[in-house]
Amino acid sequence: MNRPRTAIAALLVTLAVLAATAAAQVPPPGPAGPPPPPKPKVFLDWPGGDPDFLRAEIPFVEFVSDLATAEVRVLVTPSGPAGSGSVSLAFTGLGPFRGDDNTLSYAPEPGASPEDAKKGLAGTIKLGLLRYAAKTPVAKDLTVKFLDQAKPTAVIDKWRQWVFGLSANAFLMGETQYRNGSYYASLSANRVTPEIKIRTQVYGNWSDYWFDLGDGTAYESATHGYGTSALAVKSLGEHWSVGGYVEAESSSYSNLDLALTAAPAVEYDVFPYSESTKRQLRILYRIGFTRARYSEETIYFKTAESLLQESLSFAYEVVRPWGKASVQVEGSHFFHNVKFNRLELEGELEFRIWRGLSFEIDGSYTRIRDQLALPAGGASYEEILLRQRQLATGYNYSFSAGFNFSFGSTRSNVVNPRFGNGGRSISISM
Amino acid sequence: MRKSSPAVRLLALALVLAPLLTLAARPARAQEGQAGVDEMKKTALKVFLDCGDCDLEYIKTEITFVNYVRDRLEAQVHVLISTQGTGGGGVEYTLTFIGQNDFKDVKDLQKYYSNKTDTDDDIRRGLVKSLQLGLMSFVGRTPISRRIAVEYTPPQGSAEARDRWNSWVFSLSGDAYLSGEETYRSHMAYGSFSANRVTPGSKVRLGLSVDRAKQTYIVDEETITGTSKSWQASGLYVKSLGEHWSVGVSFDAESSLFSNVDLGLEVAPAVEYNFFPYAQCTRRQLRALYSLALNPVRYREETIFGKLRETLFKQELSLTLDLREKFGTISLSAEGSNYLHDLGKYRIDTFAIVNLRLYKGLSVYVLGGYSWYHDSQLSLLGREPTYEEQLLRLRELPMNSNHFFAVGFQFQFGSIFTNVINPRFGSTGGSGMNISIH
Repeated sequence: MNRPRTAIAALLVTLAVLAATAAAQVPPPGPAGPPPPPKPKVFLDWPGGDPDFLRAEIPFVEFVSDLATAEVRVLVTPSGPAGSGSVSLAFTGLGPFRGDDNTLSYAPEPGASPEDAKKGLAGTIKLGLLRYAAKTPVAKDLTVKFLDQAKPTAVIDKWRQWVFGLSANAFLMGETQYRNGSYYASLSANRVTPEIKIRTQVYGNWSDYWFDLGDGTAYESATHGYGTSALAVKSLGEHWSVGGYVEAESSSYSNLDLALTAAPAVEYDVFPYSESTKRQLRILYRIGFTRARYSEETIYFKTAESLLQESLSFAYEVVRPWGKASVQVEGSHFFHNVKFNRLELEGELEFRIWRGLSFEIDGSYTRIRDQLALPAGGASYEEILLRQRQLATGYNYSFSAGFNFSFGSTRSNVVNPRFGNGGRSISISM
Repeated sequence: MRKSSPAVRLLALALVLAPLLTLAARPARAQEGQAGVDEMKKTALKVFLDCGDCDLEYIKTEITFVNYVRDRLEAQVHVLISTQGTGGGGVEYTLTFIGQNDFKDVKDLQKYYSNKTDTDDDIRRGLVKSLQLGLMSFVGRTPISRRIAVEYTPPQGSAEARDRWNSWVFSLSGDAYLSGEETYRSHMAYGSFSANRVTPGSKVRLGLSVDRAKQTYIVDEETITGTSKSWQASGLYVKSLGEHWSVGVSFDAESSLFSNVDLGLEVAPAVEYNFFPYAQCTRRQLRALYSLALNPVRYREETIFGKLRETLFKQELSLTLDLREKFGTISLSAEGSNYLHDLGKYRIDTFAIVNLRLYKGLSVYVLGGYSWYHDSQLSLLGREPTYEEQLLRLRELPMNSNHFFAVGFQFQFGSIFTNVINPRFGSTGGSGMNISIH
């Protein structure tokens, strides 16, 4: 090591030590700012009001009699025609809640008894105070409940739940000796109601690759896939659904010039569909007719054929406080020769074993005996390495397992964005 | 602008009261029935949920006293949910409630914190509660609020536990991934350990990670394998100096087959300035970071400059802008670095993400990056990489620049409501595009 380097290294070490010492002198700070009050202190500005009644109705705040110690001021003023009982409620945040302001109003229903009107008004004050309570530890002891079930389609909608979409995307990357472009476009029309689900789309995707091999030659290739699909499902009660798929597809990966499919299907969910975000066990049976025309002659010497296929699948999903799990099994075969079949198994498990320790496992295995579209000509060396062609195989699998163990101050809510938060990731989903 | 004029308030009040009076004209009994509830649902609050990572289906099944719309301009409240990592390894969700149209005078901000070990179910239940409480300031003005009950269960009396770990959080994780078919196999393994201490006054991050990947192809009964492996150790200390300045130092050690580095060490003191106060960081940041690095390196194979080891001095300046607004997300960054022994050897990286909700139903995104390398690839292999190393992209190649670029748009029209959840025949294939940056 020569002298300037040593000097700089020494300087860096000194800086690091200084920084570390400076850190040591700072007392360990607690959570940012003073701890929030246990219950919001509310001053009720309502001459002639009944604070005792409100105290009983709204136990998650503390009513104080002095504006100076209050954190929320509720000003109740009569509004509307005299004797109607209508009031305007002005909520003003003070101290820690400065800037948290709102205005609500309350009008008793005609013919309501004074007792009901009093309860109704207390209910409105309660709702208005929730925003403050939500910022205190009281929040975790509150439960909000909707007393009715409203139909999600009870809205004024001139489009009758139809949504149309158009999207186009391009992704390009390159460096001096490599370029890749991918393009994706789609058009969709969907209608989803509790009774019927209709999804239709037309899509296309294209990719091209270019490699400069350095010796004056380049390797170039392109792939494509496009098609259209439609799905219609009718609900028959809480457990049954019937529907059908219609599809047209062209794909260079799968050696399909054009494949047309029509497939009716029926589904049974062992659990009611209304519990779907918590658990589902769906059994789907589908029978499909396909007319396929191949881009190249297949290993079975076909350039076109008509096929009838049936499939049965079981899908189980559960999301619980301990984590989540899903299992899917699907079997299918062609009718002209049951030897041409496929069996797919798929599973996923995320499990929190004990506070800081969690496991994640997912895997899939497919037994493949139905590669009817494989081209007789095979694939080139480059197509194999770039995975641009479907290849002959009897199976495929994927398996992943991971664990995470954390301990220490894992309940710390401090946010410190300085010097970045340790990398950025972007996800685009469509 | 925030405070609306008394006339507007009066108008808003009139609008709120109008449905009440309409309802008042009906017989009281009818309101209790299903027809009455459906009638109230028609005038329920219109909500635009602006959240990339939320379980929207769950939220929509749990909170049914509002109407969900797919376009922000149609909404009476725009709920913008932004996230940031916490010192404990969890996530801070900032829920900004922005009143719009006839609710322009109402706004609120709520926070929800998840812990590192929370499951998806814990997180979605916590978020639903924060949303419910925050939405009440708006729902309280709609007739449906009469049918909402709030229950309070007094706690059993447990005090907050003292933090005996003094804000330190340790984490160990490992992942393995295998996939294959008859003529192809891919194996990957990844392991990491980290120890972090994050407080408002300072931040310490220590980490160690190892990864390994192997791909095997069988072509004409011949086996071709491609391997990549690397490990990295890093340390960072940052001290806060007020609302805009921070100073720190980072230590890194790494080994990478791709980059031909057997062992590279780096010590870099740095200083950062944020043009916005750090307190606003969840919505906006514009950070400038300057660092000076001392970097001794040992290469695996001789480089094109004929070196097996050397010590480099490097300076680096980066600028990062992150904005999260009602109209979308903007994130831009530019980074330049050069070597002090030869200032002409430099590298510039730029990166941009812009995702805008332009007009009713129309959103566009552009994301891209461009890098210029001016003789700055000091670790390049002295020999020509093999054909397979090149196709499988296992080795860094000489380049003057590289780029990636993506652009897309989405236009939707038709029904503005997205209340319905229909899980029949599977839920996949929903339309809608979402870009999230963490």
